[in-house]
Amino acid sequence: MSEYFLTIRRMLCTAGCLLAVVFFSCKEEVVDFDANNCKKNPPFIQSMGFDGKSSFFSTSDIRTMGLLLLQSEQPGNPNAAVTRSFQHPSWRKGGWLAPILIDEAGNIYTAPAPFISMLDNPVANNNTIYKVDARSGVMEEFMRLPLADSINAQNPYGIIGMVYLCETGTLYVSSVAGSRLHEENGHIYVIDVKNKKIIDQLDHTDAMGMGISYASGKRQLFFGTGRNSDVQSTILNKEGKFSGKPQMAFSLQNLGPRGDDKVRRIRSDQSGNLTVSGIEFNFNLIAPREKQETLYEFVYDEEAKKWGLKQAP
Amino acid sequence: MRTFVLVFALITSFFSSCTNSPASSGNTNHYGEDVLQSVIANADSLKTFDFVDARVEAIKNALQRPIPVLLCADSLNGNQELAQTIALSDSTFTKNIRDIKTNTPYRNEIFAVFPARESDLLNFKQTFNFKDCYRVEMYNYPLNLSTVAFVDIKQQKVVSAFTQEQTQPEIPQYLKTLAIKIAINSPEVQEAYGIKPSEKDALMASTKTSLNRTRCERSRHLCVAPTFVKDGKALWAIVDLTDHKLVGVRWTNVGTTGPAAPMITERRLQDDKITACFCEKETALEKNGWKLNYMLTSSDGLRIAQVSFNGKPILQSAKLVDWHVSYSGTDGFGYSDAVGCPYFSQAAVVAFEPPKILEIKDDAGTTTGFALEQAFRSEQWPTPCNYNYRQRFEFYKDGRFRVAAASIGRGCGNDGTYRPVFRIAFATEQNNFAEWNGINWNNWPMEKWQLQSATTAYAENKYQYQLTDNSGNGFFMQPANGKFGDGGRGDNAFVYVTQNKPAVDEGEADLVTIGPCCNTDYHQGPEKFIEPSPDNIQNKKLVVWYVAQLKNDDTKGNEYCWAESVLQNGVYVTKAYPCFAGPMFVPITKTISK
Repeated sequence: MSEYFLTIRRMLCTAGCLLAVVFFSCKEEVVDFDANNCKKNPPFIQSMGFDGKSSFFSTSDIRTMGLLLLQSEQPGNPNAAVTRSFQHPSWRKGGWLAPILIDEAGNIYTAPAPFISMLDNPVANNNTIYKVDARSGVMEEFMRLPLADSINAQNPYGIIGMVYLCETGTLYVSSVAGSRLHEENGHIYVIDVKNKKIIDQLDHTDAMGMGISYASGKRQLFFGTGRNSDVQSTILNKEGKFSGKPQMAFSLQNLGPRGDDKVRRIRSDQSGNLTVSGIEFNFNLIAPREKQETLYEFVYDEEAKKWGLKQAP
Repeated sequence: MRTFVLVFALITSFFSSCTNSPASSGNTNHYGEDVLQSVIANADSLKTFDFVDARVEAIKNALQRPIPVLLCADSLNGNQELAQTIALSDSTFTKNIRDIKTNTPYRNEIFAVFPARESDLLNFKQTFNFKDCYRVEMYNYPLNLSTVAFVDIKQQKVVSAFTQEQTQPEIPQYLKTLAIKIAINSPEVQEAYGIKPSEKDALMASTKTSLNRTRCERSRHLCVAPTFVKDGKALWAIVDLTDHKLVGVRWTNVGTTGPAAPMITERRLQDDKITACFCEKETALEKNGWKLNYMLTSSDGLRIAQVSFNGKPILQSAKLVDWHVSYSGTDGFGYSDAVGCPYFSQAAVVAFEPPKILEIKDDAGTTTGFALEQAFRSEQWPTPCNYNYRQRFEFYKDGRFRVAAASIGRGCGNDGTYRPVFRIAFATEQNNFAEWNGINWNNWPMEKWQLQSATTAYAENKYQYQLTDNSGNGFFMQPANGKFGDGGRGDNAFVYVTQNKPAVDEGEADLVTIGPCCNTDYHQGPEKFIEPSPDNIQNKKLVVWYVAQLKNDDTKGNEYCWAESVLQNGVYVTKAYPCFAGPMFVPITKTISK
């Protein structure tokens, strides 16, 4: 049975979590490594005897709630055996978690996301960002985003996406807390990490996976909408704040085996091309193992000034 | 071999649209008429079209052949036929035509044979004479797999062959025609279109095609959507070409410019319809003296409310709060599954189809009542770690009623125990709850729980509890002891009784997950409303919580709470072994109560 779970997990992870990335999680939001790569290994890893090159963080283990530090026999190989694992007692305090983000000092940021049930993830905590200190490895509450006006029983989710802009030290956090079937009440918050302050926000936006790209020389935040298969982009200014209104970039609609994928994650390569991970998502608690993931590659056509699908899955 | 005494026959499955009728709902529905009037075809009452018989026969014959592949039914010239023959003699091309373990043939069909394009052979270093090269496409129905071969008919060999999982080749003209025929002959299409459309009506003017692409994401079957345009709108008729049936119909607006309209697929059709008609509004039901409202919840399954019999209030509400699933092979491993609506819900297993109303007949064929049934399914059921739950309310003409549910597997192992948590809130303001001690009925003065066991005494060999009002009227409560004729083997249930406090919501509104997966004792959730200070429950409005314990079994011939896929006529069908649980409530008559 456990073998089965490992296989399923590996199947899911193969799609987008272990692409020679030291730190990963199936649900992780990862900033662009080339254009926006500043993350550093948390020093506490080495002090605990873990090999930084073959270790990674995970929030995807279906039997262990919270954050896990794992060391693999072959980093990058999803089928490789895990040789060591560690969980600090504080890493369970947020319940089941999803995004993992590491800054230039090695601090880790994460947030709760319910896994199959709400038992360990009360709705009231779903807008909380947790931080694991780079040196001590202890997880503490970093900050609570404003609670949505209308937290409701329909929507089990709060924070579902995070990315980090190294240049400005700003964290972009998408939250759908308070959204309902017919009311889009989500936000993308821009947080000045140093001062723990929200410095900008987009309202009435249910954003899911996000990514930062420098395509066509612009610093842009791309985000998938939780309501449909569209991907929008907004330009970020030098302070990391939003500049102008979000624009439609491209859509996953009618693409892939399902045709209505929502964006789980967006990654950018050196050229600014985007790799988008698409999954089924309908704001319910269907088990992640049921969700097949598809990768879509989008390329920006400078002449036509539009994005096009590079490789149909 | 099990004997099923009860017979459940479908009498209603909401072929007709749900409406925003004020009589049935106080809510304003946010969905448009296109969604409200869409139809999810009822799989239980499918017509067998005469024109499908020949194809079914051809499929069965093909499965008997050494190369069990249906040949392309479209007209082929000599070279195309030769290419098809060469492809089918190639072991790489035919690698997936049988189940490797059992050698049982899969249903395969050649969909197309056409001249190879230059782009098909770009990756080859050698040069080809294109007029000798053909592309042969084969579809494997049960695996939803496409296999493509490039055949050089001059060299009489397959140059290359490859497979693509979860993909379907362009369907042949023969199947397009069949899909349109199924659509125009389906009553649901005729009703939605107003008249029986002709084959010529199946044409999208904008795309010059009669078929829209669509997907059956849940069944993973080969589906297309013949589309009929009328008055500026397009009627999508999703047809399943694996089972030769209509999946459902839905109108959409015909756009001429702008981004592509979202495709109407099996899942979208189902989820939108269920949400609009059963998650956003209550439906009233009146039958056999019973009157009630029902709707799907976010996480408590199908909820019935304001239940009365012959004008007398019986239940305030009843619902299925959780399914706790634990696996004994691993300590503390399992899930707390909530069942409910497909969009914006706390459900881990969602409703795929509308509630059904079934006629209940005894073994003599006499109708004794009706059942309201709702299915919830994981997308990939019955593959491992996917679930299928059934919820059923039974109402009898004699005033009996039953609150029941079943697991149909398959779960993550054969060592699973399912614990459905029912909440049954009675309508009567002043009730008393008593257990049979073998001699008398003993009233429970305070909130309490109890576990059914091998030594439990039953009045009349059936009744464990009774719930009565001040006048002595009420119900006996009969736990499932394998006597309900539904294959159930007994519930071994925890029963909790709590006071229904007017000012405190103890589960009347949608409940979040009430308990963890894996507790084996009474800590299933309802005890939270009892401990630490149980309330008085004498002459009070009461809630009965019922937690059955059902151990699954995959032993051949003895399967229980289980499901498996078997190959039948070349495609996978599911064999289901439900384990029904839940108590029957029997009206108290003087004779028995004394």
